Amino acid sequence: MRLNRDAFAAIALLFMCGVFFYATLDLRPPISGQLSSALWPRIILAPLAFLSFGLLIQSQRKANADAPHIGKLGQWLRDNINPIICFVLFFLFIFTMPIFGMLIGGLGYVFLTLCVLGGWERRRLFLHAAITSVFVVGMWALFTQGLGVFLPEGQIFRLL
Amino acid sequence: MGLVENILVALPALFTVKIMALMIVGTAAGLLAGAIPGFTIAMAVVLVLPFTFTMNPVEGLATMIAVYVGGLSGGLMSGILTGIPGTPSSIATTFDGYPLARAGKPGLALGIGVWSSFFGGVIASVILILVAPQLAQIGLEFQSVDYFALILFALTITASLTGDQLLKGLISALLGLLAATVGSDVVFGYQRFTFGQNALASGFSFLPVLIGLFAFSRLLGDVRDRDASRRRLGGDDTHIVKIDYWASARIVLARWVNLVRSSLIGVFIGILPAAGSTISNIVAYDQAKKAAKEPETFGSGAIDGIIAPEAANNATAGGALVVMMALGIPGDIITAVMLGALLIHDVIPSPSFIADEPVISYSIFIAFFIANFMMLGLQSITLRGFVLITKVSMYMVTAVVLFYTAVGVFALNNIAFDMWTLLIFGVLGFIMRALKFPIVPIVLGAVLGQIAEQRLSQMVAKNLDIWIIFDRPWALFFILLACFSILFPAYQKQAPTANWTKFFGPALLMTLSVPVYMMEGWIRPAMAVAMISTGVILLGLRLRRLLGNLSGGAKPS
Repeated sequence: MRLNRDAFAAIALLFMCGVFFYATLDLRPPISGQLSSALWPRIILAPLAFLSFGLLIQSQRKANADAPHIGKLGQWLRDNINPIICFVLFFLFIFTMPIFGMLIGGLGYVFLTLCVLGGWERRRLFLHAAITSVFVVGMWALFTQGLGVFLPEGQIFRLL
Repeated sequence: MGLVENILVALPALFTVKIMALMIVGTAAGLLAGAIPGFTIAMAVVLVLPFTFTMNPVEGLATMIAVYVGGLSGGLMSGILTGIPGTPSSIATTFDGYPLARAGKPGLALGIGVWSSFFGGVIASVILILVAPQLAQIGLEFQSVDYFALILFALTITASLTGDQLLKGLISALLGLLAATVGSDVVFGYQRFTFGQNALASGFSFLPVLIGLFAFSRLLGDVRDRDASRRRLGGDDTHIVKIDYWASARIVLARWVNLVRSSLIGVFIGILPAAGSTISNIVAYDQAKKAAKEPETFGSGAIDGIIAPEAANNATAGGALVVMMALGIPGDIITAVMLGALLIHDVIPSPSFIADEPVISYSIFIAFFIANFMMLGLQSITLRGFVLITKVSMYMVTAVVLFYTAVGVFALNNIAFDMWTLLIFGVLGFIMRALKFPIVPIVLGAVLGQIAEQRLSQMVAKNLDIWIIFDRPWALFFILLACFSILFPAYQKQAPTANWTKFFGPALLMTLSVPVYMMEGWIRPAMAVAMISTGVILLGLRLRRLLGNLSGGAKPS
């Protein structure tokens, strides 16, 4: 079996179908004459599993040249290092939201994202700091003061 | 109420200083957003959405439509001046717009693009106002089973229009439907697939899912290449030019046949679910080239090559709005966002929506009409802004917009979990793009999932058998269309060589004539007779040609 990208996707999808189908067994039985909670998901899961199996077969029939090999995962990670770092930074931004809040967390998040993507040279640091201040503070002020939307303050902001 | 009365009722609600100001700002923002390469119109509409939460439905929808129209026309600025299309809907504009600009006529090229966009939008507005209420009348005939079949068709055609990735398109659509099942079921509100997480009890909010899958994952895809993301968006040689309005208007009006044909192509493609302006601008360009007296001039600055895509892409918006307003089914990502905006204001589009809510629905129609005039006036002003924006790098836009999406998503319901939803679906969207899965079907699946389940539950409650599909003409019509749409990618791929593709059109006509014949009245059965007659004639002609080729010794493919 060749473990290429499509095969990897198909196996993951089949596994997911199994998990979701198993979860439908725990759903409450229907009241007479009404749609069961499990019926609609099963109607979706059956063709999804079938098509995923079709994708698995198709992935095995493809020539090696057509199907990128999973062994190139390291290369793929290197190619996508920027988006991956952005996802991690966004994760940290949300995770620390109760502490830093939207304003302080946003300042840190945007500045770090700009520096990671744009570089850490001194000239750029000033530019990134200026962009961060203008847009994050501006956006925060617009939403909280202009539109009257509540945004998370965070513990630090409350102490200040 | 009649058409004129409805328009008169809506006019005072729309023509307020506040709404006009919002629309001007929205059009200008759309023009600028559309001009930024890599920044799609859908993303611009999504970003405007949080600002509309505090507005009433007419204000919010009018603003979003202004952004939509502006975005459709903004793409031509970068396409013509830099050769890089601002949005996928302006790809074909660059084929002739950029060469004409390079030949020393950038003002004329821009003028032709602007006027074509304007006329395309105006033609589509008129069609929208006239056709949407009629389509809604037809929609009133739909029962739950018909709607269920329509949703099925919408999803299969969405998947089939993803090119040769039909399998992945269908999987993507089913994943969208599955995502919509998480949370509470639509009949009893029982928890489903929460896996013990309370945060999942009310399911994933639709807009964070949409923004995550579409905007978040795309923005991060744009910064994969470190060097490219640091380059200026429009290169270094973008400069302000004067749009030659008068000369270009005369040229565009003189080529009215191409203008009208391209606008009609745009409207028709807009009506098809998921077939948006990305497709219409290419199709219209292709048709203009085929109809041209000098097709060899296309690609080197042909005027018709600019008129066709620009008229078509603006007209597509009208077609997409027809379906959303008349049937409550979003035709593309942008109308899906608009549907979300309506739902936030507890306004649910359906076939009775236009009749029940004439102020809102006709305000939307008129706003679409007015936005085209605003676009015409604002194009010159925003051109200066565009030249400034092209000096910015993509990574700067990405960092700021990512933060803004987080703020906007939180502001939606004031729930922190929505930001986690944004991240989860952003990661999912990014992985799906990397694995070459199309994104549009999963988004439409997520939007239509709950509606489909509601319709199915209504069928079950009425004790309707699944075979009712074959008794209901509209349901059968959509199911047959769904079957043909699944075959469409194979037809498209093999059309030049395989013999079976010659019979695809006649078979479609003859098959669809059956449900049309089953419909009430005499007009539709008469149409069915015309359809089957045309199908039989085409079948006979193609069979004769095929047999002639075979007897002549041609090798069948």
